[in-house]
Amino acid sequence: MFTDKIEAKDFDKMDPEYKELLGHVLAIQADCEIGGPHLYVETMLPAAPTKLDQLIIARTAAEEIDHFRKVARVAGDIGVDVSFVLSQPNEKRFVDTFRGLITTWEDNAVFGFLIDRVGRYQLEEFYDCSYLPLQRILPDIVTEELGHIEYGYNKTLELIQSGDEGKARTQKAVDYWYVRALDMFGRSASIKSERYRYWGLKRRSNDQARQDYINEVGPILTQMGLTVPDPNKGRRYM
Amino acid sequence: MPQAVANIEQLDEHLMEVVRALHSAVRQGVSHKDNSKVMDTAIKDCKEMLDEVMKGNVKEWLN
Repeated sequence: MFTDKIEAKDFDKMDPEYKELLGHVLAIQADCEIGGPHLYVETMLPAAPTKLDQLIIARTAAEEIDHFRKVARVAGDIGVDVSFVLSQPNEKRFVDTFRGLITTWEDNAVFGFLIDRVGRYQLEEFYDCSYLPLQRILPDIVTEELGHIEYGYNKTLELIQSGDEGKARTQKAVDYWYVRALDMFGRSASIKSERYRYWGLKRRSNDQARQDYINEVGPILTQMGLTVPDPNKGRRYM
Repeated sequence: MPQAVANIEQLDEHLMEVVRALHSAVRQGVSHKDNSKVMDTAIKDCKEMLDEVMKGNVKEWLN
């Protein structure tokens, strides 16, 4: 197990596998940061129910762009150019969840509540990681992601409390995004995931992180009066 | 030191400016919740800036 802490100046001396894995994970992270706004800015900024919600969507997108900027800088400083993801069509995003468009308010709310929460999990994987420049950008990013999750949660709750129809639409959105959220953790038997852990770039196995997420989200959904979807139904990556 | 990506600093600065401008527009709108006209202007400004970022035309930004 690799336990050293690495600065950018040490990068060239590192094992090729470390370089490859770090570059890859930074590209995925950058893609996920900018992939969110690409899902909802075009459709939800004009369609949010109130002007205040429109502005909060703009603020959320601004924060995600800033997260992209920070990750792109960490990558760029070691020669990994991730700027291509800025213009990448949604269908080509690294993670399936970001391929498409959000077209309803309930999907937008549940996306924040469930998918930004996976984003938080992804970022938490880098806590105390072996690459210090990545570790340093985390606190501010995670704080902002917590704000997105809270906003998503509050908007989801508002929809549930709006009546039977709103609750049914919200349950449908939860059924859709929950499966995608679980798939975002990747395959349980992923060899790459083990190599990330070996190099100190991630803390948990895909399966452990997914299970932690299930354990966290399940009680929240129940408390909100929603049904927890079957965690095995419709999954692509087990 | 590894060789940094060309233009990474300029891209970083450009995006930082855009993010600042977006936050400024949002603050302007949010602090005038009772003034529909100010909010509309803030939303319009945000939309224009975000549309540009979503196009992702890095070369154009850095020219």
